[in-house]
Amino acid sequence: MMVLRSSALQTIALLPRNLVIVLLRGYRAVISPLYGDVCRYYPSCSAYALGAVQEHGVTRGGWLAARRLARCHPWAEGGIDDVPVHEHSPYRRTRFGFVASQRKG
Amino acid sequence: MDFFSLILWPIKWVIEAILVGWHSLLMLAGMDAASGVTWVLSITGLVVVIRALLIPIFVRQIKSQRRMMEIAPQLKKIQDKYKGKRDQFSREAMSRETMALYKRTGTNPLSSCLPLLLQMPIFLSLFYVLSDAYAGKPGVGLLNEQLSRQFGDAELLGLAPLGSSMITSDGNVWVIVIASILVVLMTASQFITQLQIMSKNQSPEMKASPMYKQQRILLYLLPLVFAFSGFAFPLGVMFYWFVSNLWTMVQQFIVIRNMPTPGSEAALAREARMAKKRQRRGLPTIVEDVPEPSVEEHKKTQRQQPVGKNRAKKKTGK
Repeated sequence: MMVLRSSALQTIALLPRNLVIVLLRGYRAVISPLYGDVCRYYPSCSAYALGAVQEHGVTRGGWLAARRLARCHPWAEGGIDDVPVHEHSPYRRTRFGFVASQRKG
Repeated sequence: MDFFSLILWPIKWVIEAILVGWHSLLMLAGMDAASGVTWVLSITGLVVVIRALLIPIFVRQIKSQRRMMEIAPQLKKIQDKYKGKRDQFSREAMSRETMALYKRTGTNPLSSCLPLLLQMPIFLSLFYVLSDAYAGKPGVGLLNEQLSRQFGDAELLGLAPLGSSMITSDGNVWVIVIASILVVLMTASQFITQLQIMSKNQSPEMKASPMYKQQRILLYLLPLVFAFSGFAFPLGVMFYWFVSNLWTMVQQFIVIRNMPTPGSEAALAREARMAKKRQRRGLPTIVEDVPEPSVEEHKKTQRQQPVGKNRAKKKTGK
């Protein structure tokens, strides 16, 4: 993959990811609590999706989240199931959960 | 056909088949094909079929909730460990340990995300089927042109077409009145179900968590969400939602009454009920399920000093 040197370019490249993060945060704030705890895993499916998109972006993160949702059925054992993480992530996370380039500003 | 309707196509087909199936059954029973009641009952039938198909999942959940009793002591241990700790990290660690315990003992009481995930496309598909029917378009499968028109024009209580919504009411006051009533009914049923779970079937630890407070706030915002949906959704879809809510309410009531979460208010009520029953029958009151008085053994904080051989002998010798 091409390494984006400019911080501005990187911000644009991270835009889709951050957009999905806003959607997921919204879902987790408004809709999730309505149903209470239903997920058989920790972290819950929506938390997993959020983490996956933060870590791997929309495409790969979305794929991971979809696979996780498919795993979350009544016959599944459940348990702890964390998002696979990179050893060294090139990004930092803001308090809200946005993904930004490492350098500030 | 766009991507979205391509995905929904099979679900729409199944929904139409169930609706038409019920419709023909009701016609065989002597009901009028075009009358509103027949189609309203068909929608009720749709709820019954879908929720009945979800019963095995529900039964599974009940069974693992029963097994929860067996792991209650271990669960209590985890809860005690994090008692009074309300910061994010402690709560996370607590959920993690609880989940690990469920997996280890094979007693996961949670129903999984599948039932929720299933409801959404079903709801959407019904929305499209009904909207198309109201627009005079035939369905994708068994709902042919004639049936589709009947379905779209069928009237709730003989006053408002099932396929109309507040937006498409065309000045029909009854649509607005009935939609408002349905919004109230939907909200009330959802509210009662939620309140029952939240106030009666949750352990004190859960009630102390920030998640609980958030849930409570949302509970009171719920009417607003439904008021909005009352605008956009056709009456038939709202009716489906309401009947589905009723089903959930009854199901939940049975669970809370007979298989409450250990340590919750409902569990205490159940114990009290059982004790009363025994008393009435004149049986001796068996003390069951009552947690032993937790007399915590005094833990010595100071290490016992090792004693030399000679001194130990002297002590025992005395």
